[in-house]
Amino acid sequence: MNAIPAAATTVENKADTTGQYDDLVNAGYEHGFITDIESDTLPPGLDEGVIRAISLRKGEPEWMTDWRLAAYRKWLEMPTPTWASVHYAPIDYQAISYFSAPKKKDGPKSLDEVDPVLLETYEKLGIPLEEQKALAGVAVDAVFDSVSVATTFRKTLHEAGVIFCSISEAVRDYPELVRQHLGSVVPPTDNFYTGLNSAVFTDGTFVYVPKNTRCPMELSTYFRINSANTGQFERTLIVADEGSYVSYLEGCTAPQRDENQLHAAVVELIALDDAEIKYSTVQNWYPGDENGKGGIFNFVTKRGDCRGHRSKISWTQVETGSAITWKYPSCILRGDDSVGEFYSVAVTKGRQQADTGTKMIHLGKNTRSTIVSKGISAQHGQQAYRGLVRIAGRAEGARNHTQCDSLLIGDKCSAHTFPYIEVKNPSAKMEHEATTSKISDDQLFYCRSRGLAEEDAVSMIVNGFCKEVFNELPMEFAVEAQKLLSISLEGAVG
Amino acid sequence: MSAAANSSRQPTEAAEAFAGWLRNLGGDAAPETAGTGSGPTWLATERQQAAERVRTQAVPTGKSEDWRYTGLRALIEQGFVQADEPVTALTVDDIDEVLVPGLEAHRVVLVNGRYAEALCDLGTLPRGVRIGSLRGMLDSDPDAVRGVLTQIAGEGSHLFAALNTAAMQDGLVVLLERAALLERPIEVIHLSVGMDEPRVAQPRHLISLGEGAQAQVIERYVSLGDALYCTNSVLEVALGRDALLKHARVQQESRNAFHITGLYLSQDANSRYAGVNIGLGGTWARTDLVTRFSGEHAECDLQGLYLAGDKQLIDYHMDVRHGLPNCSSRERFKGILYGKGRAVFDGLVYVARDAQKTDANMSNRNLILSPNAEVDTKPQLEIYADDVKCSHGTTVGQIEPEMLFYLRSRGISAALARRMLCLGFAGEIIDALGPEALRDYVAEQVGARLEQAPLD
Repeated sequence: MNAIPAAATTVENKADTTGQYDDLVNAGYEHGFITDIESDTLPPGLDEGVIRAISLRKGEPEWMTDWRLAAYRKWLEMPTPTWASVHYAPIDYQAISYFSAPKKKDGPKSLDEVDPVLLETYEKLGIPLEEQKALAGVAVDAVFDSVSVATTFRKTLHEAGVIFCSISEAVRDYPELVRQHLGSVVPPTDNFYTGLNSAVFTDGTFVYVPKNTRCPMELSTYFRINSANTGQFERTLIVADEGSYVSYLEGCTAPQRDENQLHAAVVELIALDDAEIKYSTVQNWYPGDENGKGGIFNFVTKRGDCRGHRSKISWTQVETGSAITWKYPSCILRGDDSVGEFYSVAVTKGRQQADTGTKMIHLGKNTRSTIVSKGISAQHGQQAYRGLVRIAGRAEGARNHTQCDSLLIGDKCSAHTFPYIEVKNPSAKMEHEATTSKISDDQLFYCRSRGLAEEDAVSMIVNGFCKEVFNELPMEFAVEAQKLLSISLEGAVG
Repeated sequence: MSAAANSSRQPTEAAEAFAGWLRNLGGDAAPETAGTGSGPTWLATERQQAAERVRTQAVPTGKSEDWRYTGLRALIEQGFVQADEPVTALTVDDIDEVLVPGLEAHRVVLVNGRYAEALCDLGTLPRGVRIGSLRGMLDSDPDAVRGVLTQIAGEGSHLFAALNTAAMQDGLVVLLERAALLERPIEVIHLSVGMDEPRVAQPRHLISLGEGAQAQVIERYVSLGDALYCTNSVLEVALGRDALLKHARVQQESRNAFHITGLYLSQDANSRYAGVNIGLGGTWARTDLVTRFSGEHAECDLQGLYLAGDKQLIDYHMDVRHGLPNCSSRERFKGILYGKGRAVFDGLVYVARDAQKTDANMSNRNLILSPNAEVDTKPQLEIYADDVKCSHGTTVGQIEPEMLFYLRSRGISAALARRMLCLGFAGEIIDALGPEALRDYVAEQVGARLEQAPLD
């Protein structure tokens, strides 16, 4: 977790680079630059040279380089958002290395070297041995099962005409599609982190589902061969053409080993007429130790554009990891009769902080949206639901239902609700409900009187509390999410 | 805070104009104090500090969270000047038209923010009850208001409260001693009359109830004619242990008026506050309701009804802070929007770490009747304690076609049916108003407003 040294260190570095040593330092930089390219890692720091280097390394066309540079120039002028109710020390963006090849060599040689606590968790989640190795970062030999599985999957997808590849491949192989859609939902100037992401993104997924095609399987990053290491600045773009359907799974229930502290991903979804995209996330990154040291900063911008009539975008997320989560998967309901959904379970414990929610922007007629957000806060966890429902003047007959419930476990945690509701159409119907409570003594007593241990009783009640959201997850994901939730709350009770 | 920083970095033209205006009204008014003399020193200090805040604080812009939906441009453009002189020309007959028929009360009248002794009809007050002007009180017995005046509002929720503290000239003081009981309500008529140039009145009111005291106060903001003026008033309410205050506020300012009020409430153990806010008038009205508990088992009940019609903006901000255990609060606001009316509801319930067993409930329901009306609502919960019961609910909707159909199938015209349904929606809040005469009066006013509304 040393990716971001204290700000003080860099101030010193900067002081060194000024004045009489300018020429020398710059010259040295040039040299270091080349050396590092050879070893596939760029030195820490961010300027136009770094962005050009990334673009070059990725073999990108010129328009892509220009796009990145434009984003970078805008980013320089943007302020860091401060409105979220999360607290952290300022991030030094010059101390981050923006391109580095997977460091497979650093990983443990076999499972024996892996932290036994991690293995215990895998055991509880019921993860097969080979997968355990992959997740823990153990160097896996070529006969690894899922590689061949993945190849089979790719073949099936290819036959259906579905494009499913890394964003870098897509820029190379399908430049027209990418150029048309990239940044059309989340423009680089949207906010500070999207600006940064647009300038330096190195990895991510591209999905295109052709007209009237139902994607033959649920897509998951897990089965994309070259995504063993999720990028720090991921960029995902999913385009569902007219009448198509795709379900996409992101992340994994198992805690992942990761060296990067700052994650600023951007996800863009585009649904054309009658298309449907279902996007499910399970996020369980390293949350830091019990004092809040280390841990991932997860600053994500996710937005879906229901561009076509009768299109539908559904977000489901289970957020249990990360030290700080800053994430608002949103839907722009542009097409008439389009539907947006947001189902979320977020757990914060230890010193975790989460500021999460959604935006539903109703622009088209008879658009409908549903928001179900369940927050569980334990120990010193801090959690906020922040959401916007905007019903524009021409969104005739728009309909929204919002429900945000918070469950508090322990007296040091907190839960906040900040809903913004803006209605400009008289035929709109909008309902918002929120509750905050703890697990009632009566409920606990009832379970315990039937012989359940306190922890099991709490886990049962919490699972019941989250059921509405779990029901929206694809089957095997739901089972895993349920287990994950019980594990997350272990030790949080009592 | 970042918004404030932004605005200070890049002052817009409007913000600059506003800052100048504020300084004229507040900053420079400070040397002149409320009483005939220089006033008590403790107050002078408070006022100087407030004037300093007005001078130095960043001016709110559209980026300030508190003013996100409530633009100040219209207010700034009016160029209001401080109302200095009391209006003495009015007689008792002149205020006849604004009275509530059949309402029996101890009547107090303030004209353009000044206590109008000649128009008051206090009758006989029970023992332990004092009603008078702030000006008079500061002259004769300033210690009676010490420790309450300016202490409950503190720095206020925004610049306008500081502005009021700096520029206050007069107002109403109601003091009830320990165990004093008022059987008849006190009716406070805040009357505004138009002047040659648009004026802003900045009265400061104070209601303080001693231990176990009980009272009912009805405040009414009314005007003669369609005058253009601005009211920026602050009311501080202190409730002692076991005290009970029933409070009705009916805002019927002229349709050109700008109205800014702050109610700052401090409740001691076991006290009960039940307030009903009716917002009908003004072209631009902003109300801040702020509650703090200083003892356990206190109850605060805030209800409200607003009607925003053509080109009207009605904004209610609520800040209920539970800092102690075992208190309960309830906010229930309903709104009807039509024409180009706009309403803003921003409620915050804050539950501090130690405020266990807090029971808080907030609801905001809105009826939108026309395509150009708008409502922006933001009910927030900020909770740091686990053993609490907190909830909020918001709805925005229209009249159910089924209900309309039901009434129409019984031979009732569409317009009347709509009006009936709206009145039914509003009735729940109107019924909480207390005296029957007042309830009937408000229901009639609401009905009359709905009749003018283009409901079809």
